[in-house]
Amino acid sequence: MIYLQLFWEYFKNYAKTRLTYRADFWIEVLSDLLFQGMNLIFILVVFQHTQSLGGWSQAEVVFVYGYFMIPYGIFTTFFNLWNFSERYIVKGEMDRVLTRPAHNLAQIVLENMDPPSLIGSLVGAVIMAISGAQLGLSFDFTDFLMMILLVLGSVLVYAGIYIAITAIGFYSDSPTGIAPLMYNIQNYGRYPVGIYNKVIRFVLTWIIPFAFVGVYPASFFLNMDSGHNSPLALLTPVVGLVFVTAALLFWNHGVKRYRGAGS
Amino acid sequence: MLAIDVEKLQKSFRVQKNREGLGGALKDLLRREYTEVEAVKQISFQIPQGEICGYIGENGAGKSTTIKMLTGILVPTSGKVEVGGYVPFKEREKFVKNIGVVFGQRSQLWWDIGVIESFHLLRKVYRVPENDFRKRLDELVERLQLGELLNRPVRKLSLGQRMRCELVASLLHNPAILFLDEPTIGLDILVKTEIRDFLMGLNKEYGTTILLTTHDLQDIEALCSRVIMLDDGSIIYDGSLEKLKSNWSKGREIQFQFAHPVKKEQMDSWTEGLNVQWRPENDLTAKMWLPHSVNVSEALSRVVGAAEIRDIKIFETNTDEIVREIYQSEKVSS
Amino acid sequence: MNNAYLDIIRIRFLTMLAYRVNYYSGIVIYAINIGAYYFLWQAIYGDQPTLGGFTVAQMTTYVAVSWMSRAFYFNNLDREIANEIRDGSVAIQFIRPYSYLLVKMMQGLGEGLFRLLLFMVPGMVVVCLIFPVTLPTSPQTWLIYFVMLVFSFLINTQINMLTGLFAFYVENNEGMMRMKRVMVDLFSGVIIPVSFFPGWLEAIMKWLPFQAITYLPSSVFTGRTEGGMALQVLGLQVLWFAVLLLPILWIWRKARHRLFVQGG
Repeated sequence: MIYLQLFWEYFKNYAKTRLTYRADFWIEVLSDLLFQGMNLIFILVVFQHTQSLGGWSQAEVVFVYGYFMIPYGIFTTFFNLWNFSERYIVKGEMDRVLTRPAHNLAQIVLENMDPPSLIGSLVGAVIMAISGAQLGLSFDFTDFLMMILLVLGSVLVYAGIYIAITAIGFYSDSPTGIAPLMYNIQNYGRYPVGIYNKVIRFVLTWIIPFAFVGVYPASFFLNMDSGHNSPLALLTPVVGLVFVTAALLFWNHGVKRYRGAGS
Repeated sequence: MLAIDVEKLQKSFRVQKNREGLGGALKDLLRREYTEVEAVKQISFQIPQGEICGYIGENGAGKSTTIKMLTGILVPTSGKVEVGGYVPFKEREKFVKNIGVVFGQRSQLWWDIGVIESFHLLRKVYRVPENDFRKRLDELVERLQLGELLNRPVRKLSLGQRMRCELVASLLHNPAILFLDEPTIGLDILVKTEIRDFLMGLNKEYGTTILLTTHDLQDIEALCSRVIMLDDGSIIYDGSLEKLKSNWSKGREIQFQFAHPVKKEQMDSWTEGLNVQWRPENDLTAKMWLPHSVNVSEALSRVVGAAEIRDIKIFETNTDEIVREIYQSEKVSS
Repeated sequence: MNNAYLDIIRIRFLTMLAYRVNYYSGIVIYAINIGAYYFLWQAIYGDQPTLGGFTVAQMTTYVAVSWMSRAFYFNNLDREIANEIRDGSVAIQFIRPYSYLLVKMMQGLGEGLFRLLLFMVPGMVVVCLIFPVTLPTSPQTWLIYFVMLVFSFLINTQINMLTGLFAFYVENNEGMMRMKRVMVDLFSGVIIPVSFFPGWLEAIMKWLPFQAITYLPSSVFTGRTEGGMALQVLGLQVLWFAVLLLPILWIWRKARHRLFVQGG
């Protein structure tokens, strides 16, 4: 409850900050969308030359892409910690955070939130709706509830993976390059995992489960006769919970270590 | 009651070694080497409630590490630490509601928006009731004369204005203990005085315990009844400022300006029998150095009786010099 | 060449070595990218023998060599320059007895050489073992490819410099830098060979410098551009290098003038 109030306070401050630099705001939103649009362009260009990608039609691949954007947008809204190591560890802002009476990760997340990323989610929903209509998908109330549940699960998967990676900053203050690594890998979760070989498929499902932020949950909504529905879709919230729990333990251990070693 | 109680507090770090040259870098790629560094070595001290204590030492002496342990940021390697009845590194969130912290070189305020917005946010973070917050804020604003600054963004404030706001930010929740890390660094003399007066008042009225680190010994002279001096992780002095001065300063200097030219032999003859030394600067001015054992009024009366004098100035050895002296003798002895 | 510049290359090389996790994760990033795109293209081809003028085998080689060359030419000079302009430290560079832009380029080169030697070479060996990559057999092709690779680096660095120098004019060029990154990755041909674009887009690309960064050299490497054509393509790279020098020098001189007039 107290964190909800804090969220609101931080949000107000965010909005006020943003209003002072209005021009940048739109440029950043636009370049963000373009960055993600690059992958859509890839899909569209590729389907100029072929009818199917591992048995999936263009509309199906685009549908998965649309789903992928929704949890991604929510996740980046609350998780904008790409420069965590430099800002909080090297420049020492972690010290300030630790002298405040609220959970450290909560403070850091709130300090860095980036609500415009939600626009990406919105665009994703629109893309999903359009390609869904092309596919003739029906969407009833249960689907709507499932959508919320699966998106939440996907957001937790993201949060788990990236919280764990950010926590590496507590163990090593030199750049690790692991966050960009993950950023690259997550992109492969939105293509049908069937196209990859066994090893990659296993990694994307169980080790770094990015298949759960795209293709698995999205397949739940596809037509039964497409044969693409994955039974793993329903596992999304479970995988999310498991990963986020493990990540939080790792994070807390990192904070403990930071307070043991300092800088 | 004790505000801060520290016993045999110790902190050691593991620091990574970088080997030299291309070969060394390639070796580091495969295997790292570390050295153990003891930043704080078995220090003990007690600070009662309501005291203002100065914590001084050269860079790297272990001041910041101690402050970080006292504020719950770092966990000690060994030893006992208790602040305001809490062990800082346990129950961190409860403990920090009781303390205020200002890091002089780092801001805790939002950069781009009005100062008041940061204050509102901090009110929520510390869960201060609206009424208490208003009362407290009004009082602090009046005392530090922040009135029209409150709506300005931090980036448009001068360093002195910002520091005053930082102080308010750290005091909104009315902490019993205040930690200040270099609170006057880079400020001009006027702002420094203002901040010192403010801290003095705060201590008098609310009995706030204050521990401050500083490089500016005038802060210490103006504020602190007690000084703890740190060197290379160990406490080398803990006591009052007066004692520090009388123990370490060897004497004082008096400068005379004469109406007529005076020779060195004449000066020596005036003060015969007293253990003082004369140092003429030109025909009309000279400095007399006298140790603490010599009575100032006696020396003065002898000179005044013998020569016509235009002006007199007394120089007390300042704390800077004393501290430098202590460090040097410490280095020699160890 | 001035010894100081060589030293800058050496120092950056050593700095890169100091970050070992960064090194290992870099190798993994490139391996994963190559792997993922390999499978992706396999699925795209299905059982069609050629697409966009590429055979499956050529595409495999193209993907591998394109990502590996990206390791060499990629750098963050745009961000570094923009940051130094924004925090004002660029003013100090004007009074130093060297050329700032050349220093930056040397830093980029040190980084590139590091990745070339400790990344590309072992990486290429591993990739060749795992995936059916066909290496060119003629030494001539290798030679032309390596010369072209140098120009890939130069042209990409020039584009980065131009983007970074824009910080002289706009307060925040973060958005621009991000857009540049998207454009370079998309249009240079790392992700999709230019010949896959629809006709109109391919036509536009012919008139932009991006294809000179990846598409042209990788096409030479895969054997799609041969003999005299290869030299022609190299000539195109040289031309772009010369053309891009002009706006950089122009902006730099103007910025310098402005800095002197306004006193920082």
